[in-house]
Amino acid sequence: MSRGRALWMHLPLGICALATFFPFWAMVAISVQPNRSIEMPGFLVPSRPSLDAFKDALGSGQVFGWALNSTIYAVVSVVLVLLFASMAGYAFAKKRFIGREFIFWLFVAMLMVPGHLTLIPLFIMVSDMGGLDTMWGLIIPTIANAQAMFLMRQFIQEIPDELIEAARIDGAGEFRLYWSIILPQTKPILATIGTFVFLWHWNDFLWPLVSQRTPSNFVLTVGLNSLQDQETELATTMAAAVITFLPTMLVFLALQRFFVRGVMMSGLK
Amino acid sequence: MTAISRRATPWWRSKAALAGYVFILPYVIFFLAFRIVPAVMGTLLSLADYSLAGDIQFVGTENFSRLFGDAVFWNALWVTAYYTILTIPLSMVVALGMALLCDRTLRGMSFYRAIFFLPVVTSTVMSGVIWVWIFRNDGPLNWLLDSVGLPTANWLQNEALVMPALAVVSAWKDFGYNMLILLAGMLAIPGEYYEAASVDGAGWRHRFFHITLPLLRPALFVVLILEIIKSFQVFDTIYVMTGGGPVRASYSLTYMIYDQGFGYFDFGYASAAGVILLIITLITSLVQRRIMKRGRIE
Repeated sequence: MSRGRALWMHLPLGICALATFFPFWAMVAISVQPNRSIEMPGFLVPSRPSLDAFKDALGSGQVFGWALNSTIYAVVSVVLVLLFASMAGYAFAKKRFIGREFIFWLFVAMLMVPGHLTLIPLFIMVSDMGGLDTMWGLIIPTIANAQAMFLMRQFIQEIPDELIEAARIDGAGEFRLYWSIILPQTKPILATIGTFVFLWHWNDFLWPLVSQRTPSNFVLTVGLNSLQDQETELATTMAAAVITFLPTMLVFLALQRFFVRGVMMSGLK
Repeated sequence: MTAISRRATPWWRSKAALAGYVFILPYVIFFLAFRIVPAVMGTLLSLADYSLAGDIQFVGTENFSRLFGDAVFWNALWVTAYYTILTIPLSMVVALGMALLCDRTLRGMSFYRAIFFLPVVTSTVMSGVIWVWIFRNDGPLNWLLDSVGLPTANWLQNEALVMPALAVVSAWKDFGYNMLILLAGMLAIPGEYYEAASVDGAGWRHRFFHITLPLLRPALFVVLILEIIKSFQVFDTIYVMTGGGPVRASYSLTYMIYDQGFGYFDFGYASAAGVILLIITLITSLVQRRIMKRGRIE
């Protein structure tokens, strides 16, 4: 392809990129708007940006609390999902026991059951356990993740048995085998699944919406939605939206290659 | 010899088998408690009358006969189908177009792809909040339409326009993901095919319709199935942007389940609607299996 023609491609790509990015740009532009009225299209380039809306959003402590809840929810879930899924994935890939195939495929088949059907029973169960409006009640229903377990098993199947046998001959016990032989081998897939699980939980909405009733226990997504209903300044809402968005963007930019690999895997299944 | 050694260590005493059970145990406990039990319970609840007070009463198929006689349910089914019909062609065309645009080596391509991917990683609530503002009466979309002399509209308050507006949001949010799946499919097409076609003097249109599109069918099929399942289960965007309105014009099946369950606390009735969603999902999966097995798509 000639160089001139290649450069031409920047035009459609640039237009599409601008259109895709516009909502993000507008969100940030409104959040730093010093006055209440929004002038089209001048607001897109604020002449005197102000951080008042962020002070409003964070000053009450409410948004900060939501961000903290979201962080705990996402981080604890990532750790537990990875731990449980890698242990189970290892057993399903490398151990022989009766019922292995049946249990595995039963779990995978459960992926077809929509979350909306299990939502009400989950709500009743967690409510009976006294877990509504608590962090543990928010976390526990989400940690047995079938996709994560499935991907772990696929990946661990590729690890040569000789590696495990060699370690066994060296006298490694079952747990040592998992912890110091298998886990280090799975780092790339742990990173991929971890990235996805973090984003799923950070962005999760429906379960936190029904299980967290007190505003101080909200996660960011639920809190941000509640700011829409209240008589909140648009700039403050947008500041909260920016705060919701920033961690996902940073995680994505930092772990982009793992994320891309994960999407490609979903296309090749 | 094998028989003896097998008898010497029956499966339940074999160390490897025991370790296997121990390793799956934590996962199995949580999966059983928070996936399988709720799925069974949800199905059973659809045959019962259950109120917040905790009284549970078996009512047979009463919830389903009530459902089939309820105009709200038929409307919810229609809204869900309509959303799917609107979203899928739009999402697929946008994703395919963008994949074609991005399927080349160009300085700065990774930057463009990162931008196109940004909506995928954002939360539905955040994108909903921004798009509500974009569609507002005094929002930028109407400003743009007005300044080029086109009629403006109150997008999210208009019964006829609310679903197309939601479909646009969905296409914006998902195309980066679908584009990546299609790009993976394009990478798998052998370059010799295109070289041979160029030698034969085929133009881009010929190459697209006779090489790219046919060989991309498996990837397109994956995107189609993902989009169908996503469309059936759309909830967050509707909750954040329209609350099912105006006049139930965006009241989807999932929204009905939520509304009946947590608005009216009619758990049995909501579960019956949930079972319908389950049946639709299962049928989609079966059809998908069928088509893949027939080998029309590998």
